[in-house]
Amino acid sequence: MGGIVRGLCCVFAVVSALTTAAHARPQNAIVLATTTSTQDSGLLDVLVPRFEKESGIEVKVIAVGTGAALRMASTGDADVVLVHAPDAEKKYVGDGDLVEGRPVMHNDFVIVGPPEDPAGVRGSKAIAEAMKAIAARAGFISRGDDSGTHKQELALWAAAGVDPRSLAKREETGQGMGATLNVADQKRAYALTDRGTYLALRKRLGLTIAFEGDPTLLNIYHVYVVNPAKHKNIRIEGARAFVAFLVSPVIQQVIGDFKRQEYGQSLFFPDALPRRQ
Amino acid sequence: MDVRVEGLRFDRDGRVVLDIRSLLLRGDRTTAILGPNGAGKTTLLRLIAGLEPATAGRVLIGDTVVRPRQRPDVAFVFQENVFLSQSVRENLELGLRLRRVPKHERGVRTDEAARLLGIRELLDRRADRLSGGEGRRVSLARAVCLRARVALLDEPLGGLDPATYARLLDELPRLLGAFGSTTVIVTHDHREALRLAQDVVVIVDGRVRAAGTKDEVVSNPGAAVVAEILGYTVIECDGHKAGVRPEALRPGPGPAQFRMTVDHLIDLVDHQEVVGSIGSVRIRVPLPRGLPAPKPGEAFLLHADRTCSLD
Amino acid sequence: MSELLDGMRQSWGLLAGSRSGVAVIAARTVLISGAATILAVLIGVPSGYAIARTRFRGRTLVLGFINTAMGMPPVVVGLVVWLLLVRSGPLGYLDLIYTRGAMVIAQFLIATPIVVGFTVASLQALPPRLPDLLAVLGAGRLRTIWLLAREAKLGLLVAVMAGFGGIISEVGASMTVGGNLERSTRVLTTAIVTETSRGEVERALALGVLLLALSFAVNLTLTVIQQRRRA
Repeated sequence: MGGIVRGLCCVFAVVSALTTAAHARPQNAIVLATTTSTQDSGLLDVLVPRFEKESGIEVKVIAVGTGAALRMASTGDADVVLVHAPDAEKKYVGDGDLVEGRPVMHNDFVIVGPPEDPAGVRGSKAIAEAMKAIAARAGFISRGDDSGTHKQELALWAAAGVDPRSLAKREETGQGMGATLNVADQKRAYALTDRGTYLALRKRLGLTIAFEGDPTLLNIYHVYVVNPAKHKNIRIEGARAFVAFLVSPVIQQVIGDFKRQEYGQSLFFPDALPRRQ
Repeated sequence: MDVRVEGLRFDRDGRVVLDIRSLLLRGDRTTAILGPNGAGKTTLLRLIAGLEPATAGRVLIGDTVVRPRQRPDVAFVFQENVFLSQSVRENLELGLRLRRVPKHERGVRTDEAARLLGIRELLDRRADRLSGGEGRRVSLARAVCLRARVALLDEPLGGLDPATYARLLDELPRLLGAFGSTTVIVTHDHREALRLAQDVVVIVDGRVRAAGTKDEVVSNPGAAVVAEILGYTVIECDGHKAGVRPEALRPGPGPAQFRMTVDHLIDLVDHQEVVGSIGSVRIRVPLPRGLPAPKPGEAFLLHADRTCSLD
Repeated sequence: MSELLDGMRQSWGLLAGSRSGVAVIAARTVLISGAATILAVLIGVPSGYAIARTRFRGRTLVLGFINTAMGMPPVVVGLVVWLLLVRSGPLGYLDLIYTRGAMVIAQFLIATPIVVGFTVASLQALPPRLPDLLAVLGAGRLRTIWLLAREAKLGLLVAVMAGFGGIISEVGASMTVGGNLERSTRVLTTAIVTETSRGEVERALALGVLLLALSFAVNLTLTVIQQRRRA
């Protein structure tokens, strides 16, 4: 009997030791909640290892839709957040979940579509005109995943005075940018995409840029730390170190040069330093 | 209705399993097909039933040539009990239904077969949950109610417990009468064959080695291998072989006598048994009380009333 | 933990109110997987019968192939179907990519080996002499097939259910060839992926509960039939 009790105690001790180990986050690891488009561009694959090497802090990258990324901040499940939906971010800043925000960089959105441009978008003067042309004459494939890109698209429809729900030829994929561009390609439809993902996939796709350059198509990335005063267990030092790393002059230069050689144009434009005129 | 086999050959994987130039199974009689395991007995039965296509030759039932998938008028009792997972009654009626026997007639025949085999209380039980002995009776009843002109029974008493075996062995001759047809029984047991059949066919290695009435075959087995299958002990003496029924051996001299080397004796209370050998053949002989017991190693003289000489 | 409970509570609300097309997605899921299952049964059961009942050269090879295919990752099937159906692919002219038809094709290809495998197993579990018995009792070819199928009906039912269960809970192929389009090809599994990545945990959970309920209903039906047979 005593042996059984002792045995059970041993088992219990081992199990609790293991579970504690599994639950405890190492002190020098932070969770970065960011958007799939950031991950897909490959930029984080350059920045994160460099940060880890320089600071000795491990970064766990959780790439989800902007909505989910912001939500992780509001539940205290992330330490630092890199997102590109300024309007949605305001609510979380207002609620005190996100603090110490800094602009990091921007890229821009473009409207892509079939080369023959069935909706006649190419001659449009402004984005609203382009959106109306698509609504009237062609199909449109939406991310529909609550991502920054999706939110941007909804804002564009609103600005153009079109109810996207009323469009018979608009479909939502609920998937990432790459999958959505595939669907648009196969369905000969238009889509809104960040320039980086489009350039990376351009070779396989039969899609060309139908509209670009409107100021509202700018895609601005901010980095925030999650408020340690509001949420428990936030690794505030690591989070601040990551923010400082992103806005440092050296890294801003790295961001501006990212894949410039490969595509012949910049994917991201650094925003943290005063613009040189 | 006679069953005739003409130039029948059956090959499996390039090996000759059965090769019978000619064989007649006479109508309205029971024939036992006797042979060791793997001799081709079951294959012959399957060819008669049209379950296998012959490599060459043919089987005739009456004047009709048996062809696979053409429903010859036979009843077949398989070695294993095989039933649909339905009631016994439904299993008995299945063959009748497939032969388009009218409903009323089906009931009559099923009841009759069930009474004959003493399975009336089983009729509403699930057939696939019967004991081995019960299943055997139902298998036999299923064959009986078909009233086919040829009944083929593959080891009908195989795999039964001793009590069930003994009871069915007693009942079977009367049941075979109920088949009222040409009956062929495959068995490897010569006692079963002699009890149940009028005619005997001995098959060894796919070939017919003896055929005829059981008197003809038993009194003149011809080859030693046939004699052994028929239950003879084959003894070699003076350079030639003789077949002896082991129960016919008695101590003492006689017209046909043999010299046995004694190995040991066994006390069986009312008599003793002498165990020994003649050449390479093991022999056991009862020693009546009053006779002097031989010692191990001694020669012991035996005789038999009846022997048969073999090739 | 409290999020999980909230999710459960809210899922009933979402299902009961049938807000924003959950019922539509569920119905679509059953229709697509049901159609694929019916096709898989129409092809798979006769194939399984042929493989179980006949001896031919390369039979072992075929069985090995089927056993492998039964465990094939659905997403690989999805990828192959995608490559066949895209505009530049050999079957691109059918214009099926990102349609329910494409999903039915992919799910059919996933379910068929499962149906064949279970059909072969259930027929081989029958008494080996049963076909001979039916033949000597006078059953013709069709009658034999019918009676054997009736004997193996439980096993065949398992084959159907396993096929249906395998594809209704499958996500990779449906996502790849269907495109998860909200108004035409979104099914329960792909909707769960979308809602999760959107951070809509409650909706994801509601859909998960619905998917569980569907497969529970399927399995319950199967179990009830099985138990009734045993009684």
